[in-house]
Amino acid sequence: MELNSIKDAFDRVTKKQKLSSSKSQEVIEQIGQEIEKAFLRLQSEQDSASPCAHKLILNELKTKLKEIAPLSHLESTQKELNVALSKYPKLLEKSFNPDISKAYRNIDFDIHTVNQIITSHFYREGQFDIGDCFINESQELEAAASKSPFLEMFQILEAMKCRNLEPSLGWAARNHDQLNQNGSDIELKLHRLQFVEILQNRGRDEALKYARDFLAPFATQHMAVFQKLMACLLWAGRLDSSPYAELLSSIHWDKLSVELAQQFCNLMGQSYESPLSVTIAAGVQGLPTLLKLMNVMTGKKQEWQTMKQLPVPVDLDREFQFHSVFVCPVSRDQVSEENPPMLLTCGHVLCKQSITKLSKNNSTRRFKCPYCPAEVEAGQCAQLHF
Amino acid sequence: MSSSSPMEVDSQLPNGSSVVAAAPAAPPPPSKSGKLAESLKLEHQLLRVPFEHYKKTIRSNHRTIEKEVSAVISGVSAAADSELTRDEAVDQLSSLVSRLQGLKRKSEDGSRTEHLQAQKCRARLEHLESAELENMSEWNNTRLKRMLVDYMLRMSYYDTAVKLAESSNIQELVDIYVFLEAKKVIDALQKKKVGPALAWCSDNKSRLKKSKSKFEFQLRLQEFIELVRDDENMQAITYARKHLAPWGATHMKELQRVMATLAFRSNTDCQSYKVLFEEKQWDILADQFKQEFCKLYGMTLQPLLNIYLQAGLSALKTPFCYEDDCTKEDPLSQEAFRKLAQPLPYSKQHHSKLVCYITKELMDTENPPLVLPNGYVYSTKALEEMAKQNNGEITCPRTGLVCDYTEVLKAYIS
Repeated sequence: MELNSIKDAFDRVTKKQKLSSSKSQEVIEQIGQEIEKAFLRLQSEQDSASPCAHKLILNELKTKLKEIAPLSHLESTQKELNVALSKYPKLLEKSFNPDISKAYRNIDFDIHTVNQIITSHFYREGQFDIGDCFINESQELEAAASKSPFLEMFQILEAMKCRNLEPSLGWAARNHDQLNQNGSDIELKLHRLQFVEILQNRGRDEALKYARDFLAPFATQHMAVFQKLMACLLWAGRLDSSPYAELLSSIHWDKLSVELAQQFCNLMGQSYESPLSVTIAAGVQGLPTLLKLMNVMTGKKQEWQTMKQLPVPVDLDREFQFHSVFVCPVSRDQVSEENPPMLLTCGHVLCKQSITKLSKNNSTRRFKCPYCPAEVEAGQCAQLHF
Repeated sequence: MSSSSPMEVDSQLPNGSSVVAAAPAAPPPPSKSGKLAESLKLEHQLLRVPFEHYKKTIRSNHRTIEKEVSAVISGVSAAADSELTRDEAVDQLSSLVSRLQGLKRKSEDGSRTEHLQAQKCRARLEHLESAELENMSEWNNTRLKRMLVDYMLRMSYYDTAVKLAESSNIQELVDIYVFLEAKKVIDALQKKKVGPALAWCSDNKSRLKKSKSKFEFQLRLQEFIELVRDDENMQAITYARKHLAPWGATHMKELQRVMATLAFRSNTDCQSYKVLFEEKQWDILADQFKQEFCKLYGMTLQPLLNIYLQAGLSALKTPFCYEDDCTKEDPLSQEAFRKLAQPLPYSKQHHSKLVCYITKELMDTENPPLVLPNGYVYSTKALEEMAKQNNGEITCPRTGLVCDYTEVLKAYIS
C-alpha cells in the first residue's frame, strides 16, 4: 500500500482547498471594495449634483459587479476542489479494505460480557480511573470485583519501580505455599535482590542479619545460590568491584518485575497478557484472511453464518499457538477425542481413522506405513497425548 | 519454511463427502512485513471519517459564502432597480458593506476550521506511516485504545471515551466530535423530536439523495403519525400535503399505508396499523439514523472492537480451549471469552503444530517430539533438561509415570 501516493493525493486536495479559500477571500474583498467606493461616492454627493445621480452610481455598481462575476469565479475554483474531493475517497477505497464488517457474523455479543472483559482489561493495565469511570457509565457493577487483585499487583509493581521490595516480599510470604506448589522460586529471588540492596547500601551487619532471617530457609534447596550470596558479604558496600558485580544490574529488577507479575496472575488463575489484547491481536492477524475468504464466498452468505469450522486456515504468529494441533498427513483431518493420533511402530504418526482404513479394520493385518518401507500392525499402534 | 498453497475451500457435496475446491490462488503466506501491510489495509475508517468531516465543512462553508455573496449582489441590483432616495441608497449600501464584513470574518473562521480538520487527516496518515516492525507493540497498544474509544462512543459511554482518549493522548486519532454530533440527533429522537434529525438530513441532502435514502421520508411519516395520535387530523393532512406528497412518486405504498391511519386512530386494534403507533417506532428511527450516519462517514455499523473480537475468537478457537486444563495464557480459557466464542466457527489448520506441554515451545525438526511409554509426548529439549536434573529419570508431569530417558521413542510428524 502506497502511503506516499495517498499523502500526495491529500496534498492535492488541501492545495485546491487553499486556492478556493483565497479565491473566496479575494472575491469578498473585491465586492467589498466596489461597494465601499460607491458608498463613498454617494456620501460625497452633495445637493449640487443632479437628483438622480445616486441612481446612476448604483447602476454603475451593479454593472461593475456583473463584470467581476464573483459567483462564477467561486464556482470554478469550487468545481476543481470538488473533483479532488471526490477523487480522494475513491483512492482510499482502492488502497484500503473499504468494509471490514463484511466478514462479521450476525450474532450479537452479550453487552455485559463484553463490558466485563473491557473492565478487567482496564484494571489489568493499571488504568483504574478509566475502569471506574467505565463501570459508572455502563452500570456494570459486578465487574468492580476484578479491581482489587489488580490494584494490589499494581501497587507492588509500582513499589518495585522505586526499589521498594516490602510489598512484594509480603505478598510472596503470604502465598508461600502456593508458590512452592507451582514450583516458583520467586520468593528466593526477591530476598536475594533485597539482600544485595542491603549489602550495597546498608552495610554488612544488616545484610548478615537479613541472610540469617530470610535466606537461610532457602539454603538447603538452593545451596549454590545461597553460597554465592554469602560470599558477597566479603564485598559489602563495594559489590561493583567484586566478581559478583552483575548482581547490581538493574536488569534483575526488570526481569523480576515481569516474573512477579506472571506469578501473581498465575495465582489468580489469569494470564499474564491481557486476554483482550491477545484476542484483538489475533483478530488483526486473522481478519485479512477472513475478508479475502468472504470475497471468494460471495453468494454463500447462509453458509458463512452457520458454518461450524472455518474452511481455510488463518495464519497466526507463533505466540498464538496455545494448543497442539496434529493434522493427519494422510486424511488431512485434525485429530480429536474421537479420532486421536496414533504412533506407528516405525515412529510415524497417523490418525486412528486413517489406520483403520489402511488396515481394513483388521487389527492384525499388516499394512505399509505411507511414509517409510516399514510394515506395521494396527493393533501395535499406541495412542499419543500431545 | 512458508509453503505456498492456493486458498482451498472445503465444501460439502450433496452425498456428504467433502471436496476440496481450489479457489483463486491466494498469495503465499505473508512475511512479517506483509502481515503488517495487510493489517494497515484494515484502517479505512481511520482515514475516511475525518475526511468526510473535512469535506462537509468545506461544502457548508462554501454554501454560506455563495449564499451571502449572492444576497449582496441581488441587494445591489434591487437597490439599483428600485426608486430609492439618496439617503436610503446610502443606508442600503452601508448595510451591505457590514454584511460583507461579517462574511469575511466568517469565511476566515471557516478557513481556520478547515485547516485544523486537514491537519487531523494528515495526523492519521502520519500515524499509519509510523507503524514499523520494530515498534509494533506500542502501535498495537494504541490501536487497541482506538478501538476501545470507538466502542465507548458507539455505546454512548462518552465520559469514558473522552477520558481514555486524553489519558493516552490519542485525541487526534479518534472521532469524538463526529459522534457527539450524532448524539444530538439520537437524544432528540429518543425524546420523540425530529428537529435535529431533519436538520441533519438537510445538511447532507445531496449525499442522502445519491444513496437513495428514505430516512427523511420516515421522519416525516413519524411526525404525521404523531399528529394523528393527537387527533390533529386537519393539521396532519396539511402536513402530508407539504411533506409527504413529494415522496409519493417513489414510496407510494408506504405513503398510502400511513395515510390510512387517519381512519384508524391511535387506539386501533387492527394489528397492521397498531404497530405504526407503537413507541418502538422511535427506536427504529434511531437505529435507522445510526445506519445512515455510519454509511455517510464510511464507518462500520458494528463497533470495531466487536469485529476484531469475532475474528480473533474464531482464529483462536479449538476444541482444546474448552478443556479444564487449557493453559491460562489462552484467552479462551476464560469464561467470558468462551461465552462469546460459543456460536463462532472453530479455526482450522492444514499443518500440524505441536506445542510442548512443559516448555510451551514448538516441537519441530529442531526440537522433535519424544514419546513416553504411556503415550504422552514432550519436546526433546524439555526431556533432556529433565533427565539432566534427575539422573536420567523422566517423570511425566501429567500422569506421574516415571521412566528412564533411554525408554523414550522418537516420533516423526511429517
